[in-house]
Amino acid sequence: MAGLELRGIRKDYGSTAVLKGIDLSIADGEFVVFVGPSGCGKSTLLRVIAGLETVTAGDIRIDGAEVTRTAASDRGLAMVFQSYALYPHMTVHQNMSFALENMGIAKAEIAARVDRAARMLRLTDYLQRRPAALSGGQRQRVAIGRAIVRDPKIFLFDEPLSNLDAELRVATRKELAALHAEIGGTMIYVTHDQVEAMTLADRIVVLNGGRIEQIGTPLELYNRPANLFVAGFIGSPRMNLLPTELVRGEAAGPAATLGIRPEHVEPCQEAEADLTVRIDLVEQLGGETFLYAAAPNDIPLTIRCDGQSRLVRGDLLPVRFSRDHLHRFDAAGLACRPEPLLARSHS
Amino acid sequence: MTDTMRSHGAPARGPSAAAAAVTTGSANILMRLTDPPMRAVQRLIGAARMPYVFLLPNLVFFGLFVFLPIGINIVFSVTGGTGLFPAERPYVGSEHYARLLDCGSYLEAASCREDLFWRGVGNTLTFTVFQMVAMVLFSLVTALVLNRPIRGRGFFRAVYFFPVLLSPVVVALIWKWILQRDGLLNAVLTTAGGEKILFFVDPGWAMFWSVFVSVWAHMGFYTLILLAGLQAIPRDVYEAAEMDGTRPWRVFHRITLPLLWPNLLVVLVLVLIRSVQVFDEVFVLTGGGPGTATMMVVQYIYTTAFANQVQNFGLAGAASVLLGAVLFVLTLIQLFLTRRRAS
Repeated sequence: MAGLELRGIRKDYGSTAVLKGIDLSIADGEFVVFVGPSGCGKSTLLRVIAGLETVTAGDIRIDGAEVTRTAASDRGLAMVFQSYALYPHMTVHQNMSFALENMGIAKAEIAARVDRAARMLRLTDYLQRRPAALSGGQRQRVAIGRAIVRDPKIFLFDEPLSNLDAELRVATRKELAALHAEIGGTMIYVTHDQVEAMTLADRIVVLNGGRIEQIGTPLELYNRPANLFVAGFIGSPRMNLLPTELVRGEAAGPAATLGIRPEHVEPCQEAEADLTVRIDLVEQLGGETFLYAAAPNDIPLTIRCDGQSRLVRGDLLPVRFSRDHLHRFDAAGLACRPEPLLARSHS
Repeated sequence: MTDTMRSHGAPARGPSAAAAAVTTGSANILMRLTDPPMRAVQRLIGAARMPYVFLLPNLVFFGLFVFLPIGINIVFSVTGGTGLFPAERPYVGSEHYARLLDCGSYLEAASCREDLFWRGVGNTLTFTVFQMVAMVLFSLVTALVLNRPIRGRGFFRAVYFFPVLLSPVVVALIWKWILQRDGLLNAVLTTAGGEKILFFVDPGWAMFWSVFVSVWAHMGFYTLILLAGLQAIPRDVYEAAEMDGTRPWRVFHRITLPLLWPNLLVVLVLVLIRSVQVFDEVFVLTGGGPGTATMMVVQYIYTTAFANQVQNFGLAGAASVLLGAVLFVLTLIQLFLTRRRAS
């Protein structure tokens, strides 16, 4: 396994800049997730690392060795594609052994490696089947198995769970986490699903418009977003963002925008309230309830309550914001420091 | 107020609106005219049989121009004489078939009673083998090249397809002009200091150019089929192969070829069927010569029925039926392969 270093990576398609100078270091054995909205450049960045795309500028080092112009096949990386990209005319065994045959490895060694990976991924019974005869989850495991047998320096995953249904996605996510714990390899994982990012990553890289917005552990990003984009992107439902003057006692500070997570908006008595909001929609999930409300000037506000609620559409609800969890952003959208107290205590 | 006026008879604006109004009006008149007789027919035969009424025009067309000629051909093949109408032709049973199949050795055309037929069969087989190999090879290579991101790819795709749009007779005439004794190619050869080659006098050259011209004329069609197959192979699979460190030849051999195989199979069978049917290009190009060196089965049928002094419709009919049987089997194979591919 190996570490990865990206310095000033740029990628242009004609006059369109997709990656605008990416600097990133990934340590040996780390599980890093690239997350961001569609078109932010996360898949392009992964493909650049894989060697499937050339860079316009910058350099890539794997374990200290310069590989910027090295062919994909010579970088020693393995990639799991969104579509699995299995060879449809080959059996599972052939799919898993194909790369090893290319490397000229002895048949006995190939058989041993495929057998070991198949046992790890519970594919032993399916080795003679073709991909068309497998379920989505099994195909995904074959794609992972194909990567494992090569014993690569770094595993690359390009939205590998996006073609699975919700239940299977949760199960496969757990398997991936277990796999990382078991083989301990360096893994780079692209997703637009922040639940995957939060649950799998050692560190998350948030990308937007071809630039890195913030790098940090999942809870660092959640508790101390560096700017409005990260604040709005990480967390579901997203953080509430309000003009400062709406909140009592906040207008005098340097902040232009206040951020507050839905779980930190608390229903209260009228006298203690920062705002009184009108309920627009109530989502009862059993164990928790999401209230979608409108603050003055029709600014949307989401409130998360434990348990169940008797509120209905049209009700007026006085709420206050936990001052310990209030995020403040200046006029440029950057976080004002000091950060929320709770975040500081966690970090 | 304005909306009300528009919806109540304000004139439609623009030529396209006027054309639409005319079309709709004509359709309404047609529907009003056809409605009563259709209802009358439905009352007469019942709603369940109405689909046959709608199929009738096509059935009549196919019946007159496809099934009736096939029937007449079969009747001709079992009757003799020179009469054109079946009533004027005496029944001879399988006499023509026996004459065609009467051979000392099927490998030696001269030992056959109808040796020209077997020469035609031999030539058609030779043509088919070379044509299949050349067609598949050139179509595949062209499709592989056109599938790459080369400059002017759209232009070249069109260029390779253009000959398909030409009539086979036009194709043959163009190439005849190039290949004849004082043609373009010989002019180039002599200008370059070489000697003239009499392409249509040498049997080898005549067969070579017959195959070449046929491949040139039809390659675009098969290239298109293979190109479609190549483009249906997901890019991810090639990228996975690249990540797996697969060398280019191995990518072709282990990835492209197996995934293209269904398309290749269809191309092979289609080329086979068309090769067996070959006539117009070769006939216009070489006239079947020199001697009978490029005379194909279909030319034999044509000559026997229409070009000989004694027009033997019966013998030509029997040869047509035999050729039809071969084509029927080949078509069944093609249908089977196409359906298997679709499933």
